[in-house]
Amino acid sequence: MTVLGYVANGLVFSSIIVLGSIGLSLVYSIADFANFAHGDTMTVGAYAALVTFGAVGGLGGAVLGLPYGFFLALLVGIAAGAVVAVATERLIYEPLTTDSIGLLITSIGVAFVYRAVIQIGFGADFTRFEIGALRPIEWLIPYGIRVTRHDVAIVASAVVLVSGLHVLLQYTDLGRKMRAMADNPTLARVSGIRTRRIRYWTWVIGAGLAAAGGVFLGLFNQLSPRMGFNLLLVIFAAVILGGIGSVYGAMLGGFLIGMINQLTPLLSRLGEVLPLVPDGFGIPIGIEYANAIAFVIMVAVLLARPTGIAGEEAV
Amino acid sequence: MSRDTTSATDRRTYLRVAGATGLAAFAGCVSTTDDEEDAGGADDGGEESDAGGESGDEGDAASDDADESASAGPYQIGMVDSLTGSLSAFGERNQRGVELALGRVNEQGIDGRDLELIVEDSESENQGGIAAAQKLVNQDEVPFLIGAVGSGVSLAIYESVIQGTDVVQLSQNSTGLNLTDFPGLLRMSPSGRTQSLALANLIAEDGYDEVAITYVNNDYGQSLTDAFVDAWDGDVVYNTPHDQEQQSYSGIVSEMNDSGADAWLFIAYQAEFTTMVNEVYSSGYEAQFYGADSVSGDSVLANTPEGSMDGMKIVVPSAPVEEENYQTFAADFESEYGQEPTSWAAYAYDCVVNAALAIQAADEFTGAALTDTVRRVSAPEGETVTSFEAASDILAEGGGPDDVDYQGVSGPIDFDEAGDPVGFLQILEVQDHEYAGTGFIEG
Repeated sequence: MTVLGYVANGLVFSSIIVLGSIGLSLVYSIADFANFAHGDTMTVGAYAALVTFGAVGGLGGAVLGLPYGFFLALLVGIAAGAVVAVATERLIYEPLTTDSIGLLITSIGVAFVYRAVIQIGFGADFTRFEIGALRPIEWLIPYGIRVTRHDVAIVASAVVLVSGLHVLLQYTDLGRKMRAMADNPTLARVSGIRTRRIRYWTWVIGAGLAAAGGVFLGLFNQLSPRMGFNLLLVIFAAVILGGIGSVYGAMLGGFLIGMINQLTPLLSRLGEVLPLVPDGFGIPIGIEYANAIAFVIMVAVLLARPTGIAGEEAV
Repeated sequence: MSRDTTSATDRRTYLRVAGATGLAAFAGCVSTTDDEEDAGGADDGGEESDAGGESGDEGDAASDDADESASAGPYQIGMVDSLTGSLSAFGERNQRGVELALGRVNEQGIDGRDLELIVEDSESENQGGIAAAQKLVNQDEVPFLIGAVGSGVSLAIYESVIQGTDVVQLSQNSTGLNLTDFPGLLRMSPSGRTQSLALANLIAEDGYDEVAITYVNNDYGQSLTDAFVDAWDGDVVYNTPHDQEQQSYSGIVSEMNDSGADAWLFIAYQAEFTTMVNEVYSSGYEAQFYGADSVSGDSVLANTPEGSMDGMKIVVPSAPVEEENYQTFAADFESEYGQEPTSWAAYAYDCVVNAALAIQAADEFTGAALTDTVRRVSAPEGETVTSFEAASDILAEGGGPDDVDYQGVSGPIDFDEAGDPVGFLQILEVQDHEYAGTGFIEG
């Protein structure tokens, strides 16, 4: 496969990680704790979409190889993720008078509950959406790029969602309030912002994006009760690499981690890929170490820049 | 200024805690310590279970008296199974076989007492398996443990919980080669070495001299692959492990394609293999697939596109499907569950029946006594019987463990010195997206 091919695969994988990372970082900056149930929120979204898609079917036409019904299922999945997250906030996180460490541990418990409920309902086995797999797009194969129209749909949807979030944060009243609250919750409150309502909105957006990521992960790979949890470690790496609490950092971190993960096969054949390096030169690291390499790079970046790439400098 | 400092501290605390939690949860540091403690404490465990055994004697003696009033409690044995995790499909099959076997055994009873099986989940992981086995051996004090599915899990349980005690461990589904090195660890399914040899012959017969291999990164995958490479005369042009439960294997499949081999061998588990098949399909690669037993399953067929694996050949341990006792078992199974049994259900069935016979043949309900009888009730000496009822009748009439030779529904059993059974293999070929049997190989 060519370099372009690996980059294309990396782009698809990154899209899913970016969707997961943003929510995690957003919730950290406003609700002020690391939500370990975030990965399982992705799973909730994916299974809600699976049920919806099974119920409504294709609904006639299709875009990019995906039936209309799938996009409806995606919306339901996003809504389900948001509802579950807000309900958890109201019933569990809000009434708990504990610090961020206590909430962190609580969220691990919440993650187990989500996963167990899904497992009771759907069994421990894996499954897929009832959408036929596609062959790669023909006219891209000569360039060594082997992606399907589903992959294109994943990247396009992620771009739309991320752009939407950017507009929301920068140009709307809600976005300004969220940024104000992330900077200084007390000041935001005395200046008349209803911080409780903003917190709910944060959960809706963060969990909604995670759920969308989960649906795409199900489309890209398969659905299983542990799907989100298995990705959580990588998402944490992305968020910390980008600078925890920073939404744009999370986007960048997610993109980088996803890319590194998929570009690992190139390491052993650097000579063919890079100019000025003799052919046959390569770093002999197998792709079974893809995640390890991503983490080594994360550690290296943190050593040089302890707050992450886009994190605020401590004064 | 002060605000910034505070937030920086928060972040640092957060990082520290998140890091520590992550390490603990994912690297299994905490659990490794546990293992060592357990290994150290295994001797104590042995003494304890000895003590438990003695009290069991008394219980047995008491039960002899109580037999007339027929009110003794059930014999309790344990089972570690993959109810969740990447091998949960095997766990599900096991449980059906186990239920059927328990029904059979308890219809007849063992000296008027029932057999009770305490099932714990291994989550298909070493750590979960060890925790489950510890609970069964130390808390429930079972002298007989059926477990586990994954070879790595079986071995981990043996090394950290069973070794050094007199508890009997009988694995229901493990086919990893290195279990052969532990004679104390019995198993019902044949060793994977026979599978590796069969695969090497099969691929050579089909006329390939280059093969690309990917295997699951654990004992099972590693040992099967090593045995395959030993037996294979051609070139191995690609040989790379993959981790379980990753979200993408497109790197592996593209490297297999780049390797230029036309025969691809997958020694993988179902979920991972399904992902790979989908990625091969959506990347438009073509190759002749071969697979070890662990890649076959209905969920693989259900979740891969039609025609994506046609022509694939898989070697699976198989029950002797032409034997009468297997056909009776299959008929019972179908009337109970509405589907054909798999060999994995048959192995689990035989584990329970073999355990029940060992208990009935033993003088007392202790690990030491069962260690002696578990091999003898199904060894070639004695009268050949094909059901629990028949074997149980011989024992009830005063027969010893050497007077019966239980022939299981999964094969003749006949554990050898290393604790491995005599096995049968079947070659499956994927035709029109269904598995079709195309022949048998003797183990």
